[in-house]
Amino acid sequence: MKNIVDVKHFQMKFGDKEVIKDLSFDVKKGEIFGLLGANGSGKTTTIRALLGFYRPTAGEVLVDGKVYNPENSSVRIGYLPEERGLYRKETVLDTMVYFGELNGLKDSAEWSKKYLKRVGLEDKINERIEKLSGGQQQKVQLGITIMGDPQLLILDEPTKGFDPMNRRLLMEIIEEHHKKGAAIIMITHYMDEVEKLCDRALLLKDGVARAYGSISEIKKEFKNKSLEQIFVDVYGGENE
Amino acid sequence: MNSFTFKVAKFEIMRQLKKPAFWAATLLIPLLMGGIYFISFISSQNVDQNPALDENTKVAITDDAGVFSNQAPFIINGDKEYGKEMVTKGEVDLYFYIPKDFLETKKAEFYHISEGLEMFNFDANILKSLMAQDAATRVAPSDILALNGQFEIEDNKLAKDGSNSNALGKAIIPFFIGILFFMFICLCGNRFLLCVVEEKENRISEMILTAVSPKHLIVGKIIAMLVLGMIQILAITIPVVLLVFANRDNQMISQILAMIEVDPVAITLSILLFIVSSIFYAGACTFVGSLVSTAKDASSFIGPAIIAMVLPLYCMQMFMMTEPNFVVQFFTYFPLSAPVALMLRQGFGTITTLEYCIGLAVVFVAAVVMIRLAVVTFQKNAINFGTVSLKIGRRKK
Repeated sequence: MKNIVDVKHFQMKFGDKEVIKDLSFDVKKGEIFGLLGANGSGKTTTIRALLGFYRPTAGEVLVDGKVYNPENSSVRIGYLPEERGLYRKETVLDTMVYFGELNGLKDSAEWSKKYLKRVGLEDKINERIEKLSGGQQQKVQLGITIMGDPQLLILDEPTKGFDPMNRRLLMEIIEEHHKKGAAIIMITHYMDEVEKLCDRALLLKDGVARAYGSISEIKKEFKNKSLEQIFVDVYGGENE
Repeated sequence: MNSFTFKVAKFEIMRQLKKPAFWAATLLIPLLMGGIYFISFISSQNVDQNPALDENTKVAITDDAGVFSNQAPFIINGDKEYGKEMVTKGEVDLYFYIPKDFLETKKAEFYHISEGLEMFNFDANILKSLMAQDAATRVAPSDILALNGQFEIEDNKLAKDGSNSNALGKAIIPFFIGILFFMFICLCGNRFLLCVVEEKENRISEMILTAVSPKHLIVGKIIAMLVLGMIQILAITIPVVLLVFANRDNQMISQILAMIEVDPVAITLSILLFIVSSIFYAGACTFVGSLVSTAKDASSFIGPAIIAMVLPLYCMQMFMMTEPNFVVQFFTYFPLSAPVALMLRQGFGTITTLEYCIGLAVVFVAAVVMIRLAVVTFQKNAINFGTVSLKIGRRKK
């Protein structure tokens, strides 16, 4: 299977601090890939380099063989960042239509209405974002991330702060996009989600890959322990 | 325009137009200006319209109509040309010519040396005052009374070489454009500063930069803010122009309108300066906005930014001098103060077209640099949410 993401000897320094030391991995088209690690291990830095926000100190971080540029990339990326927000004073529909238009979606208003109906927000279409509850805002953010069926979905701690209902909805959506052939990179601290959804994973610690491969390969390498136990072993019981 | 820039600009324009606060701010300015005008109008009602003649002011009158008595000390025997020559030679300060048919046409002429941009004064009314004082008028007092002061005095400003001077008339349109620019920065400064802070403050940067490059985001926002500024300026200007048109028969308004001299070069340069200065100011404010993390941080910059722009207004006297001193030269070519300095010097007629064009070029280059800085800074700081400042490498294309 062809790679949608190629990370080769990626190194990232901020001043004297070396956040990523020498990282190499790939994400294949159509797979769900788990990017794991404790806080500060370099996951978000890796994603930001992938999106072109950071220029690597050394090595390459490529999307479909090129440095990602949103305006001329062959691959559309939907990104749900860990730091999330929306235009608080705008209406739900206006916000979604704006992001839809930026992403080249022609019928973004229609798409948004259908999505909002699906997630039970059809009566909030013309409501200002600031009037929505946290959970409702998360649904809007998720809609923005998946609109236009991106070929690569990057979800940074997607279930963080989600109630069980929204979490289930998110899982359904991830499955749907997976079936449509999208590659998904999931950054999460929930190992049960990784075991259930991911085809392959990478465990980062101090900017270095400590485990990398299919879930079964990783488990085999760590004497068939659960992913949660592997995580704890790698981090030596560090308090996160 | 790039399609991403257009989409960003469209979104920013539409969202602002929907805000009541945008229209409230737009309407507040003409209301305030109207209020100030009303107060000054009320105050002017108490001003003596027939002031006494300053004892140092030398007046000469050629009275072909025989309105004044022969004993009046300011009556001269020479004709109009002689009187004008007296003015240009500095022998008299004010010269009035009363033609033979004055009582029929009710028109007199007034000549004096133009000192530059003297606004309306009541020197012309001196003639009326003198007439009233001259008890021994040769014509029947009833004729003078019939005039009841309702005659016209054509105000002729002379240059030192004797040619007609209309410095004020030439400066009216450039000054009007200057006032519009001042209103523009007052109305839009805060918006420019805040337009890029919102993305950072509301944690939208990462999501939006996945879809659009920082360059097109910033340029789209600047275009939107400029368009919104122009909408506000038009919303203010159109009623003013309509009001002036509706009151064009008013004596003062008709005097101003008659005085306006359309100088195509000066007007073109003024409009160019207005556009380039607005872009420069937008770039500078956006640059500052992209440096800070929150609206609170940004708001502390708006005061100093406006003060830096309008600093030349505080030393306006210096800009009236024909030979500009170092301070004037500095303000003229220092990008932050250049827009207002150039507008003032053009208004006062103390700048050559070449100097003006150099100043314009300085502001243009500064505008391009500011926009570039705003893009680079936003690119670096977009994902700095106010807690961590990261040193980030330049993005590879």
